[in-house]
Amino acid sequence: MAKINLDSILEGRRSQPHMLVEVLLDLQDQEGYLPEEALKTVSKELGVPLIDVYRVAHFYKAFSLKPRGKNVITICTGTACHVRGSDLLVNQVRGQLGIEPGETTPDGQITVECVNCVGACALGPIVIHNDVYCKNMTPGTLRRKLDKAAGKKKEAKDA
Amino acid sequence: MLQYVNVTIDGAPVRAEKGTSVLDTAIHYGICIPHLCHIPGIHDMGACRLCIVEHVRNGRSKVTASCTLLVEEGMVIRTNTDRILKMRKNIAELLVARAPNSKAIQDIAVRCGVTEVRYPFRNENCVLCGRCVRICKERAQANALGFIGRGKERHVDHPPGKLMDYCKNCNGCILFCPMSVTPCGGPMKKGEERLCGKCDSQLTADARKMPGVCVWCELGKGFQCSRYLAV
Ligand code: SF4
Ligand code: SF4
Ligand code: FES
Ligand code: FES
Repeated sequence: MAKINLDSILEGRRSQPHMLVEVLLDLQDQEGYLPEEALKTVSKELGVPLIDVYRVAHFYKAFSLKPRGKNVITICTGTACHVRGSDLLVNQVRGQLGIEPGETTPDGQITVECVNCVGACALGPIVIHNDVYCKNMTPGTLRRKLDKAAGKKKEAKDA
Repeated sequence: MLQYVNVTIDGAPVRAEKGTSVLDTAIHYGICIPHLCHIPGIHDMGACRLCIVEHVRNGRSKVTASCTLLVEEGMVIRTNTDRILKMRKNIAELLVARAPNSKAIQDIAVRCGVTEVRYPFRNENCVLCGRCVRICKERAQANALGFIGRGKERHVDHPPGKLMDYCKNCNGCILFCPMSVTPCGGPMKKGEERLCGKCDSQLTADARKMPGVCVWCELGKGFQCSRYLAV
């Protein structure tokens, strides 16, 4: 595993336990997940016990402790989106990719996650594809989106 | 110099050291407030809610956990009104439904007057009281244990890797965990859980007549009532 460079993230934040969430957010942005080694360094540099780092990392849905795929598909399963049929979207994922929410496809292309409400209920069901919000999703549109996300990889392989 | 405040607990005017909790004060003056997650000398986190009391202010009363409520000048506290006794009994009932395999919790149920359990038994081996976590953090200063996850996934765990990398083997967590002593009849299997209630006989007549008074009941030893731990 390549050595993770934490210097730019920790710069000016060392020994400041209250910066924990900010540091973890930056780390999540940089790596796509929170690697164990990096968390140990964070714990040491900020002076926060390792168990507390893990507690915070497990608490927020924004953090992931497992490596995530290139495409992160987040399905909103909040009340409004549920009523508008987000469970059909989850089933679509199950059928098409054979993975459960929270899992990543074996080729590391797509990660599917569920969240409870992203604050855009009127436009639901909402799917977030790598930070892009997609409104009024149906199983059909999701299928095309997933095909495209998985397909990109095939072209890359062929080339 | 120590500063004192005057509080009224169950109609009795008492003097309490500033900065102590209502629960500590009450126990100090022999007023019984059943509690589970409180350990003297360790920070309280208000996890079990057994120690609820009514805090009367401006003619209104608010139910709150007494272990996380600090004494203030002129405070009025009621610890065993009918409302409180009923709520506390319900909390004890929920606890015993979650973890019937703990002598401490069975004892608390008896002390709180639980006679039947109306909830399905879950038979879990942890009630999330956080005693182990706080002992490990504050007394052992090992930080080997903590709560991981949230909602119904919340559980006690250690950082990834081996527990032994952090643990100092002080055994504090086991000593203070209410789950480490099983009811006298031995552990109950799934489907056979019941309210034990055997210790009912240890609750003397006085304790029944005066629910708000600490009579140094034998049961307190079982659930590590801080009355016993403090001496
Ligand atoms: S025995 Fe280990 S895990 Fe338990 S309180 Fe002591 S240091 Fe912490
Ligand atoms: S393991 Fe025991 S002491 Fe720790 S939270 Fe669970 S019941 Fe409480
Ligand atoms: S429930 Fe999906 S955005 Fe609110
Ligand atoms: S002793 Fe106060 S909430 Fe547990």
